[in-house]
Amino acid sequence: MAPAFPSGDDWTNFGIGGRPNYKRFSFRDIVLRNRLTALVVDGVNFCRMVEEGFLRACGVETQGVDNGDAAVELIASGAKFDLIVIDMYLPILDGLETTRRIRAMGTRCKMVGVSASFSERDGQAFLAAGVDALSEKPLSPEILVPILRELDGQYSSI
Amino acid sequence: MERNPLRRQLQIMRKSLFDQGYLDEQFVQLEELQDDSNPNFVEEVVTLYYRDSARLILNLEQALERKPYNFNKLDAYMHQFKGSSSSIGAKKVKAESTLFREYCKSGNGEGCMRCFQQLKKEYATLRKKLEAYFQLARQAGPMETACRPK
Repeated sequence: MAPAFPSGDDWTNFGIGGRPNYKRFSFRDIVLRNRLTALVVDGVNFCRMVEEGFLRACGVETQGVDNGDAAVELIASGAKFDLIVIDMYLPILDGLETTRRIRAMGTRCKMVGVSASFSERDGQAFLAAGVDALSEKPLSPEILVPILRELDGQYSSI
Repeated sequence: MERNPLRRQLQIMRKSLFDQGYLDEQFVQLEELQDDSNPNFVEEVVTLYYRDSARLILNLEQALERKPYNFNKLDAYMHQFKGSSSSIGAKKVKAESTLFREYCKSGNGEGCMRCFQQLKKEYATLRKKLEAYFQLARQAGPMETACRPK
């Protein structure tokens, strides 16, 4: 049985704060044709749960690790991913250095750098380290879904 | 419109959390991840948020006891708090954490302290409201809905 919360439809019946109802961009909007895999690197457990949850809801096979060192070891062991979501601030090895090391190992997959907020300098540094895109937390469908569609489309065109 | 009185009460409580600005769209995204295979996802995430928040609040309190303030450290803690609060849709807490970081950047210690006190109030209020909400949700019992399509 589904849990007790009012459904998304109930929510749209009410609207939020008097705003008119509108179609939200949702993880239900994507149906992947190919098998995609992702790694989430985030030191905050529940943030990682949320990020992994969103990816799985999109149909992506997802793993998570809570520090940069573990991410580097996983890639070094031969694990391959279509997408890596990586927090800028990580314990043990920070997000910038982790990204550099992952790229130095020849990993060419899409990498999305996340953070609570990005200063221009932080954002530039993260891009220079090797991420392809930046996203402020929380990782939203508006950002994830186009990336996943692009990755899915790359497989379909092979 | 929900006929079951408990569920009706739950809907009203939920609407109020959004209307009064305690929660934003992100909370709705979390609810969408909850299904039969993950029936307590939202409450689990929120419980972990409480734990993470307790740690960060303690770190901030300790850092604010040391003079002169280490604004870089204060900013780093609040950066984490902002990320956590954003991830569950805690709108007012997130707003206070953004303001705190602005005070850190301008080296305004009094502003930081005032803002931190307000943040703790907002966090405490949100936590109380969410705890009441989840308690009512448990009383209301499971709802018959179609499973979220995979």
